[in-house]
Amino acid sequence: MVDIVAARHSPRRPAGRVRAMLVLVLLVALAALASLLLGAGEVGPERALAALAGHGDAEARFVVASLRGPRTLVGMAVGLALGVAGALLQAVSRNPLAEPGLLGVSAGAAFAVAVALWLGASAATLRIAVAQVGALAGCLAVLAVVRVRGMGRDPVRLVLAGAAFSALLGSLTSLLLLFDQRSADEIRFWVVGSLAGRRLDDLLAVLPSLAVALTITVLVARPLAALALGERVASGLGHRPGRVRLLVIVVVALLVGAATAIAGPIAFVGLVVPFAARALAGPDIRRTLWLCLPLGPLMVLVADVISRLVVAPSELPIGVLTALVGAPVLVAVVRARRLPTL
Amino acid sequence: MSDTSLAPVRRAMPGHAACVSPPPGRWRLSTGRYSLLVERRALVVGLLLLAALVAASLAYLALGSERLALGGVVRALAGEGDPIALFLIHELRLPRLAAAWLTGAAFALAGCLMQTLARNRLATPGIIGIDNGATAFAVASVVGLGVSLAPPAMALAGGATAAAITFGLASGGDTRGYRFIVAGIGIGAVFGAVTQLLLARVDIDTANAAYPWTVGSLNARSGNAVAVLATGFAAGLPLALVLARSLTLMRFSDAVSRGLGVRLKRRRWQVLTLSVLITALAVAVAGPVGMVGLIGPEIARSLSSPRGVPLLASALAGALVMVLADLAGRLLLAPIELPVGLVTAVVGGPWLLWILIRPACRSAS
Repeated sequence: MVDIVAARHSPRRPAGRVRAMLVLVLLVALAALASLLLGAGEVGPERALAALAGHGDAEARFVVASLRGPRTLVGMAVGLALGVAGALLQAVSRNPLAEPGLLGVSAGAAFAVAVALWLGASAATLRIAVAQVGALAGCLAVLAVVRVRGMGRDPVRLVLAGAAFSALLGSLTSLLLLFDQRSADEIRFWVVGSLAGRRLDDLLAVLPSLAVALTITVLVARPLAALALGERVASGLGHRPGRVRLLVIVVVALLVGAATAIAGPIAFVGLVVPFAARALAGPDIRRTLWLCLPLGPLMVLVADVISRLVVAPSELPIGVLTALVGAPVLVAVVRARRLPTL
Repeated sequence: MSDTSLAPVRRAMPGHAACVSPPPGRWRLSTGRYSLLVERRALVVGLLLLAALVAASLAYLALGSERLALGGVVRALAGEGDPIALFLIHELRLPRLAAAWLTGAAFALAGCLMQTLARNRLATPGIIGIDNGATAFAVASVVGLGVSLAPPAMALAGGATAAAITFGLASGGDTRGYRFIVAGIGIGAVFGAVTQLLLARVDIDTANAAYPWTVGSLNARSGNAVAVLATGFAAGLPLALVLARSLTLMRFSDAVSRGLGVRLKRRRWQVLTLSVLITALAVAVAGPVGMVGLIGPEIARSLSSPRGVPLLASALAGALVMVLADLAGRLLLAPIELPVGLVTAVVGGPWLLWILIRPACRSAS
């Protein structure tokens, strides 16, 4: 049915879709510019603009090139990963509320990193792998719970169980931090979710997994759209539901693990971004995924810029802002008389 | 009803009150015109919980960085013994024990009231965001932003705000089922973010002073807030017991409870107000130790008979949980003290998960 709908609409609306995409990309560019120009420190927009143009004092150039530049790129990568992961997880669990941060996938990644640090690890690359393993475990827990009788059919109950699971993992992580002062100092600023002080190396370390994940996403998008019609239809169309689901879970784990490893657990991005994308693009997962590509970076960049400005000269954890936007969206979705089914 | 029910029992025939035999499983205490039905099981459960609470409290007083023998504790309680033990007991541990008792009992009582009101087993103030609302406002008071009211008053305002939003948003007044809970969690998340926002705005020393608020701890309590809580709880508990009769009937559908003579609208307001009041005052002492509001009534309900709403047993169980959790928090990682909110979250989390995904579990209440 999705394909029929798409076939009926696509000849009339491709221009509109391209325009929407262009507007979104333009907005992302504006947000990136704002992220380069604005900050909590002394370097104001004029000095930063001069540094961007190539002439400007050394301090401004340093701030823009070594602090804000990498931070902006990291923010875009994190937003992209979380937005796409949210859309995928929602499609595969057929639950519009399935958000990696709410369901404990991010918390699983954070907990795994805390355990690894507690056991004595410290290398950055190791942290990414560990976070991805933790995220995978979290994903599998989610799928296992979906299998429990009655759970799969009640999206709200799944979210509730996920929230409880997340809260539990969060307390265990704090417990580990209290237990071990060394790892606490190392990751206290990380565990609340923030983009402050991220370097280009952090981004380079996660690029391979992002590339792999996005490649698999491209391959799996079409079978996933077929899966939305039901398992039998998908099998009839020649897809293998079990394999598709497994691949999607691996992708979600790669994306969420990578994002969590560099920015810490950030909730609600994976809820708000696909929500907005579906509102713009309709139910087809492929179009939703396309729109998630600009929407994710847009949300994270805007949240990051605001987090630098509201309490200057100090900074706010970015999760605070995403929660302020995302929690009302959650309430609105839950309150809707009929939950949209996926 | 499982606790003492303060119901006046009409005499069947004037002058022959003694002839009316009490219902099975209950004793009747009668004085003149009024008589009191006491359920045997409720009495036994209450005494058991009380005994456990006393034992836990003695352990709480004896154990710690400086261990005392049990005899020493008892002597110190009587006002004798060496000055160090006297100081330890009277200045340090006894006030903290009293705070643990009061907050635990208050959280659990409020939890039981709100669960019954919403007919939803998960609708405890901690889960549906009322704790977080109270915390956000109280933190605003501690860090000196906005209105300069005392923390308990601000916590009250915050709890009332959060309750108004959560219950106001319940679509069509329907508080059963999971949607109400998830909406409440969302509102709690907003208030949690506001708390973080407030803490980030102030300098690090003030933020450190307000930090225990975010996890829930008995370490940073103020004597003033404890006194306010003691007053509020002492007033609230009898009121709750008076409401117990209506609460028992309010578990049924609206039509049934109305038919049995409950003035639903008025009773709902009373129960909600009482629950928010007690929660907010407890939050002003210890921060959001929300899980106690879930665990306490769960324990009480599993022990008591299903005929009534176990208010008194909930309060006792809540106090017991709080005392044990704070004792564990003080002892487990000895030099470091774990906030009690963290201990209850680690213990209560699996419990909550079990309630949620137990296969046979049906929608709450």
